[in-house]
Amino acid sequence: MTDTLARPDLLLLSMILAPWVGAVLAGLLPRYARNGAAALSWVVALVGLVSAILLYPNITDGPVRHEIRWMPSLGIDFVLRLDGLSWLFSVLVLGIGALVVLYARYYMSPKDPVPRFFAYLLAFMGAMQGVVMAGNLVQLAIFWELTSLFSFLLIGYWYNNQLARDGARMALTVTAAGGLCLLIGVLLLGHIAGSYDLDVVLGAGDQIKRSPLYLPMLVFVLLGAFTKSAQFPFHFWLPRAMAAPTPVSAYLHSATMVKAGIFLMMRLWPVLAGTEEWYAIVGTAGILTLLIGAYAAIFQHDLKGLLAYSTISHLGLITLLLGLGTPLGFVAALFHTLNHATFKASLFMAAGIIDHETGTRDLRRLSGLRKAMPITATLAIVAAAAMAGVPLLNGFLSKEMFLAEAVSNPRDYDRNLLLPVLATLASTFAVLYSLRFIHQTFFGPPAQDLPSTPHEPPHWMRFPIELLVLICVVVGIIPGLTIGPFLATGVQSVLGEATPYYSLAVWHGFNLPLLMSLVALAGGTVLYVLFRRPINTNPHGGPRLFRPFDGVRIFDGVMNGLTAASERGASVFGTNRLQPQLRNIILVMLLAAVLAALPFWSGLGANGFTLTPPDPGFVVLWLLGIGCALIAAWQAKYHRLAAVVMLGGAGLASCISFVWLSAPDLATTQLLVEVVTTVLLLLGLRWLPKRQDAIHIPPSEQRRAKARRVSDLLVAIAFGAFTAAIAFRVMTMPAAPDGIGRFFLEHAYEQGGGRNVVNVLLVDFRALDTLGEISVLGLVGLTVFALLLRFRPGADSLSAPEQQRVQRASDERHETRQPGDTLQDTMLVPRVVMQWLFPVIVLFAVHLFLRGHDEPGGGFAAGIAMSIAFILQYMASGTRWVEDRLRIRPLKWVALGLGIATLTGMGSWIFGYPFLTSWFRYAELPVLGRVPLPSAILFDIGVFGLVVGSTVLVLIALAHQSLRKPRDRAPAHPPAPPLEEVV
Amino acid sequence: MTDAAQLPLWAAWVVTALALAGAGLSLVGAIGLLRLRRFYERVHAPTLGATLGMGLVVGASILFFSLLEGELVLRDGLIALFLTLTTPVTLILLARAAVFRDRTEGSEDVPADLHH
Repeated sequence: MTDTLARPDLLLLSMILAPWVGAVLAGLLPRYARNGAAALSWVVALVGLVSAILLYPNITDGPVRHEIRWMPSLGIDFVLRLDGLSWLFSVLVLGIGALVVLYARYYMSPKDPVPRFFAYLLAFMGAMQGVVMAGNLVQLAIFWELTSLFSFLLIGYWYNNQLARDGARMALTVTAAGGLCLLIGVLLLGHIAGSYDLDVVLGAGDQIKRSPLYLPMLVFVLLGAFTKSAQFPFHFWLPRAMAAPTPVSAYLHSATMVKAGIFLMMRLWPVLAGTEEWYAIVGTAGILTLLIGAYAAIFQHDLKGLLAYSTISHLGLITLLLGLGTPLGFVAALFHTLNHATFKASLFMAAGIIDHETGTRDLRRLSGLRKAMPITATLAIVAAAAMAGVPLLNGFLSKEMFLAEAVSNPRDYDRNLLLPVLATLASTFAVLYSLRFIHQTFFGPPAQDLPSTPHEPPHWMRFPIELLVLICVVVGIIPGLTIGPFLATGVQSVLGEATPYYSLAVWHGFNLPLLMSLVALAGGTVLYVLFRRPINTNPHGGPRLFRPFDGVRIFDGVMNGLTAASERGASVFGTNRLQPQLRNIILVMLLAAVLAALPFWSGLGANGFTLTPPDPGFVVLWLLGIGCALIAAWQAKYHRLAAVVMLGGAGLASCISFVWLSAPDLATTQLLVEVVTTVLLLLGLRWLPKRQDAIHIPPSEQRRAKARRVSDLLVAIAFGAFTAAIAFRVMTMPAAPDGIGRFFLEHAYEQGGGRNVVNVLLVDFRALDTLGEISVLGLVGLTVFALLLRFRPGADSLSAPEQQRVQRASDERHETRQPGDTLQDTMLVPRVVMQWLFPVIVLFAVHLFLRGHDEPGGGFAAGIAMSIAFILQYMASGTRWVEDRLRIRPLKWVALGLGIATLTGMGSWIFGYPFLTSWFRYAELPVLGRVPLPSAILFDIGVFGLVVGSTVLVLIALAHQSLRKPRDRAPAHPPAPPLEEVV
Repeated sequence: MTDAAQLPLWAAWVVTALALAGAGLSLVGAIGLLRLRRFYERVHAPTLGATLGMGLVVGASILFFSLLEGELVLRDGLIALFLTLTTPVTLILLARAAVFRDRTEGSEDVPADLHH
């Protein structure tokens, strides 16, 4: 072991990074690489475990911390923090993780895609490590949600099983909702303590308990803890989660994830516990969960169901111990957490083996397995005895501590019999269900009708159980020599000075707790003998009196109610018609904009602007533009072609305005955009319904139509006026001497390396905005594509257009001509010219792109120019001809463009700069000469690719719409490839 | 455009004359487009501006910038090249569409379908 290996920060990092890296690697393995994935996971768990063990000497005196700056402006850093408590939980997570991996290697069928399973399992391990090693509350909440997420994926691993899907969804809903509550809780906690750093928070105990926000904060934190640790009334998801593969149940739902809630309560115990509120909430939840879980476990017919309810009950026990708020209660809670993890994980694995070997988990069908699998039976019996609290096993010790605490509850007003009696009752139940588990499964006559003949499992599948049961026994006999020092470190790390005296000895003399234990053992046995038959023949597989309180039913009811309520809301507020939707969206947008603008509106005259004398040429230009726009609006309903032409006129007017006002960059872009927009609009026109004068419209409808049009007009005018007002206000603002415009002009070259300020603005200073904008552009392209993929035109535009029909009829009349010849002839010269112009336009696009950083141009303009080149080819030669020769694959362009832009932005992280920081220099290239090569040019390439992809995507979608066979056209051509294939 | 003052007087005259002549031809074409009656007549009018008119303006521009920059500037020739290439496309498409429409409507104006 060298010094580098022993460096605490590296060890800390490897404890949390190894599982995540392993998860990614496992996910990349081939589909059925069972051994590879298992070996990888095993190594990962061992690396983490060895790191933890090497770190132990460092944490006996106090926490080890490693900080990575994350969001310093918010006071949130990524802090890895390991102390005694988190060390114990880490070892639990990694150690049981290693055993579960070994077990899962044999449990999982070679027909399952096992690498996916191990990838989830490792990712869960990483998330769990993140929770227990978090030195920052927000970080803890994030990893907390990650554990919920991977638990969901693991429960739903066999996703073609309905039960697995339902169980996964329920677990996710409950635990992730709890995680959100936890986030609120830790935000409140951080607010009270003044920092999210765990060490600061832990040092602010008095401040937190005195705060008026203490109670709401406590409730939210506990909601998180209770949902995760399956405390009543949120316990119902855990039995449903048993649809998961058994290694998952053994790992997540007994040993680790459900302990996250317990961990959280322990972690925050010094600052939260000890108040009346804490005692009332945590104690009540704990005792209820303890009793209900134990009682329900008795009646389960499913092996795993029994274990699940038993887990709930034990979690309730630990919660109750924490709720008591006494240091000794804390010691007992921590001890029982460790013990429970060992015996419950081994029991789950045993249940999995039984299921694996016999094909059933039904306690009513199982019987006499003692003969078929003697070793497994012995192991399971010992583990179940530990669960029941039989002396000389670890479960006995912590249960004894629990009973002692129940008897000596220091609260005067609670010095009554209730708590000890209930504790004894719950212990009796535990004995009862443990006994039933053992007796039904392993004793009695050998079962006859099992789906498969049971025998012992492979040795290495049994090995994890052997090891865990060995721990149960060793800890149960010599606790002080085995678990003692580690437990002490864990307790010390939380309680510090307040660490009480406690003894782990097996024999404390004949006292009240021991008597209670003996009563429970005897009582449980007697009850089992008495009620064995009715329990085993109970058809419900659950206690009857719980029906009204059944969490699953309540959950389903709430879910159904939510669905119904949203449907009602959608039917009241929503509509399927496009126009009202658009109108509502625009009205809401307008309202929001007005509200947002109001505070900045300090009167029109306040600016003291003076009107410059208008240039007559400019006035004429604008009058023309306004006229075009008005005619376009006027004609849009019935003369769409004229409207599109007029729209082009209005666009040209604004284009010339840009030239006039010395903005060549905007003018270039505007011109190119106008061209593409017009072409795409014209292509779409063909699919709009025709006007039918023959339809008689009743006068009442006419009135309504008129009213609707007037209201549309008003909306349009309001929106236009508002936009104009904003523009007016902004343009008449006095230019501040240190305004942002000046800043850009002065720093564009110096910091962005470009003389074209607009382009530098787009790809450098405001590159994040551009990234957002191109994402939207990509989305628009995808949306048009998706809409047109399923678009079925109206009946009247289904047939070929009249022109096509006439031409074909004419061609068909002549013997010497083929259908389509007329079109061919017409397009002969244009086609040749357009084809020859293709490389020229591509060159032009490259030119625009390369000069963009210093002179008008840039990725956006280049992208539009490039797509014009493609559009021309489609127009000149037809879709089939082009696609036979050139597959453009616009979806790839979109993906590449967005990917390049994002990666360029992330590239600056490598050099330690924030996202999208740019860097530039000039380079001497052959032929081209001196070319500016800022890193922003890569970003610009991304913009270029996305613009091309998005535009061409729309084009191709429209083009293929025309290729779909109208009914009256004979299939003269081979069918065109489906749209999905060309893109 | 402040550099325009550095131009020799004779050159200023020539450039102005060329530009004005080109613009004038384009104006004539535009008026023709407005005044002529039939489509097939009107389609010819704008070509005045697109051919000779354009040539004169481009000539003016080449002369102006060549003298100003002290070397032969030919990049404006690209305008001439591309306009010459692309204008016929528009005209052919327009004329074909008109012929098609007139034939479909059975107008006397156009020669009947050659393939009859």
